[in-house]
Amino acid sequence: MVGPTTSLTPLSRADGSASYQCPATGANILGSVNAPIELPGRRDALKPEDATVEVFIKPGTAPGGVGERYVEGIIKSMLGRLVLGREKSYARRGIVVTLAIVGGESKPRGDSYLTVLPALLQTSLLALLSASVPLSMTFSATVLGVNTLGEIIREPAPTDAAAATSLHVLAFSSKGHLLLNESRGSFDFDTWERIRQRALTICHGTLSGSPDGDVAMVEDVDGQPLEGVVRETVEDKYHQDYAWKIDAA
Amino acid sequence: MASAAAPAAQSAPPSLSLPPSQFARLQPHAYLLAHLSPPATSNQPSIRANGRAPSQFRITSANTGSLTHTNGSAVVRVGDTTAVCGVRAELLPTEDIASWSVSRSAAATTNKRRKLTDPTQKLTEEIGDESDLDADADDQSHIEDLNLLVPNLSLSTGCAPGFIPGAPPSSLAQSLSHQILALLHTTRLVRAEDLRVWYQPPNLGAEDLERHNESEQMDVDAEEAGEKDKEIKAFWVLYIDVMIVSLAGNPFDAAWASVLAALRDTKLPRAWWDIDNEMVVCSDAVSESHKLTLRGMPVASSFCVFEADAAAGWRAVIIPDAEEERQIEESNRKGVQRRWILADPDGYEEGLTQERACIVVDKKQGGKGKLVIVKMEKNGGWALDSEELRKLVDISAKRWEDVRQVIGQC
Amino acid sequence: METVKTKDSAPGAATRPQRQRQSNELRKIFLKTGLIPSASGSSYLEFEPSPALAAARSTPKSLIPPSSALKLACTVHGPKPLPRSATFSPNLVLTTHVKYAPFAARKRKGHIRDASERDLGVHLETALRGVIVAERWPKSGLDITITIIEAEDDRWWGDAPDSHDAPWGMMNVLAGCITAASAAIADARIDCLDLVAGGVAAIVSDGDDAAPRLVLDCDPAEHWSILSACVVAYMPSRDEITELWLKGDGSKAVLSADDKRLGNEALLDGAVDAARGAHTVLAEAVRESAERYAGLALGGPAR
Repeated sequence: MVGPTTSLTPLSRADGSASYQCPATGANILGSVNAPIELPGRRDALKPEDATVEVFIKPGTAPGGVGERYVEGIIKSMLGRLVLGREKSYARRGIVVTLAIVGGESKPRGDSYLTVLPALLQTSLLALLSASVPLSMTFSATVLGVNTLGEIIREPAPTDAAAATSLHVLAFSSKGHLLLNESRGSFDFDTWERIRQRALTICHGTLSGSPDGDVAMVEDVDGQPLEGVVRETVEDKYHQDYAWKIDAA
Repeated sequence: MASAAAPAAQSAPPSLSLPPSQFARLQPHAYLLAHLSPPATSNQPSIRANGRAPSQFRITSANTGSLTHTNGSAVVRVGDTTAVCGVRAELLPTEDIASWSVSRSAAATTNKRRKLTDPTQKLTEEIGDESDLDADADDQSHIEDLNLLVPNLSLSTGCAPGFIPGAPPSSLAQSLSHQILALLHTTRLVRAEDLRVWYQPPNLGAEDLERHNESEQMDVDAEEAGEKDKEIKAFWVLYIDVMIVSLAGNPFDAAWASVLAALRDTKLPRAWWDIDNEMVVCSDAVSESHKLTLRGMPVASSFCVFEADAAAGWRAVIIPDAEEERQIEESNRKGVQRRWILADPDGYEEGLTQERACIVVDKKQGGKGKLVIVKMEKNGGWALDSEELRKLVDISAKRWEDVRQVIGQC
Repeated sequence: METVKTKDSAPGAATRPQRQRQSNELRKIFLKTGLIPSASGSSYLEFEPSPALAAARSTPKSLIPPSSALKLACTVHGPKPLPRSATFSPNLVLTTHVKYAPFAARKRKGHIRDASERDLGVHLETALRGVIVAERWPKSGLDITITIIEAEDDRWWGDAPDSHDAPWGMMNVLAGCITAASAAIADARIDCLDLVAGGVAAIVSDGDDAAPRLVLDCDPAEHWSILSACVVAYMPSRDEITELWLKGDGSKAVLSADDKRLGNEALLDGAVDAARGAHTVLAEAVRESAERYAGLALGGPAR
């Protein structure tokens, strides 16, 4: 399985940015984060002790519609729980996440948006990391489809997604919590349990908990776990930026 | 005077206590928490501030067909949340569809493809649908590609203080409209066949198209050769408008129930192609009109999770691992509860919670078949995992029975 | 594109509903307050369906409704602080907003307010501004929102749309809006000079030769032609009119031999009479609202 292609801080003028390409679903997302910033004109509406997370999604070809508002709401409520908005210099400020869908197919009206949702979530996480926004945990997200034969397809291509009987997006925190679940189609709970197990493996690898509490990530059929992709992207960037220091040491 | 006043003051000491309604406004979190976790000595059950048990839904009522200018309408009240839904049908002649002639020639190929994938198709039916009437593959593509279902939800009715009337629809209204549309598409609730206006050239027998219904549609495949010339002349477009007249939490459940009830109430007039005038004409006779035959009856149930630790956000957060958390949960089972899953939250509870879940379930064969989950969402927290979701699905199944009764009665 | 035809494909086959009330008899009004708890005040108003509509509902034959009956919901939010950007106002700033539901009329309404909806909003504001004791809430705003769930017909559907081209239904809608808003304002416990009620009267003619006559609370679907109509917002205890809207030309109409009044004068008197009738319903609804409020207060702290 070909893993996603990521890059951190491709945009120089935003506080933080990231790009994310998922070869399987064809999603190509460019995200930027500006934080902390003053949100103009809305001081009354802001919470006095907490940061406000704003998410904007720009589809590639069409102007944003109701579908984008819905996905913005999903990402906003998820990130709102992870961002430590009460940290110093964040209270009463805004964290603005802008996600542009660069490639992939345009979404028809009333589409569930589930196939690009994981890519959008991953991009927003990487962009937040790039902007050094304090987070309580990281996460990883994936989309799974169940086809008419009852098989689970990982990150289905648009045609597979259209033919699937149900589509599921799951996001797990770095600590193994189920943070988000969006399921459409018709399925029963046992199917969903299988989906959840598979998604957990994709995100975290096969868990081999060692006695000291560390969770080692092991590669298997699903390739590198997504949690590792996030870690590696950040590590790579770190090595690049601090090459002078590491070399000197 | 002073001596006379003193004993009176003693008998009724000036109390600094606040009436419950004031306390609820000043300390909303503590107020709800105090209701949900009564002191162990009092032996009171855990109850919400609105008097409901945690998994209890509000009283739901529905009333259909009361709006004059609609093809179908419903008013659904879930507690103090009221949704009014009106369905209007308008004709869309195929000659007005720019891509129509192109897509029609493509229809032949879809037919072929369907034959090839027949075994899998059968499986879909087993999983998805109770009847095999709807095997046609382009059924859904007509509804989705031509936008035959147009739901819209409006919150700018003065239903709650936050929504400014006259402003562009709030993001909540837009996202609810989207959810209704997406659910209509994924459940395939409306059959495309109900929305088609057919025309068959007269040499094949005019009375055939007079009584055009699904029983005839069933043997479309058998008569495929004979019905070659039959063509679709127009589609009905259903404008499904939901007005949330009063909002007291949980708009989605009420809105979806009103859409469902209104669609069940919808009558479409008989329409036919008038060859002389070259236009589609309709009959106004009620006896000739037909009701929509819906696929199943999906019912939505929403939940929220109330967390006891309101101050969590104030401190540096140490979030336990999922595994550790499960152990804590286990050890706390008999002790103090930290989280409550509240069904059908009202506006007050929605303001105090972040984690939401919404489950839409349906039972096939009118309630005797097995339970199918059509949509399951959770977001905004980490309290709900598979164990809790399983319980919520069971609660949703019970809710399905209740709502079916309410909607079935009207 | 939809073409509606009756069975015999001639509109004449369907019969126009007939007015069965006396000319001074009003339709029954259902008015209830406090149905929308998240608002500071609210009311719901419904007109009694005409006999033709009631018959069409109980034994449906045609999909085309013979007439329609007004249904509307009104909410009041406030008094609340004005937004910071607003300039200082020593009085309560009143905002009115009237919106038809898309399915309210025979023709689908758009989602953006059109001219007639804005017009209704302005008329309603004029009617209410003179009633509210505005200087009691400086620097505050009051939002009144009316959602029309079902509107009145402008004419009988079988008539050609251009036969008499005034939106007569709007007059009835405005009268309903005034009465409902008045109840909602009282339900929000905003001080008013009086309970203002709306009333409509019209001079109608039921055929080319028939003499024009004055009817109160006319349902436009029931009349062959409406010469002139008038809606007032009227405060009975002060005998004052805060809003008057007259349409059509009724000045030359000769009503009857014993009635020496001028057409418009008779029309105005008729509208005031209709408003008095609506006022009795309004007073009852407000009394219920006050009782409910008193009940809540008793449950709270002793006063």
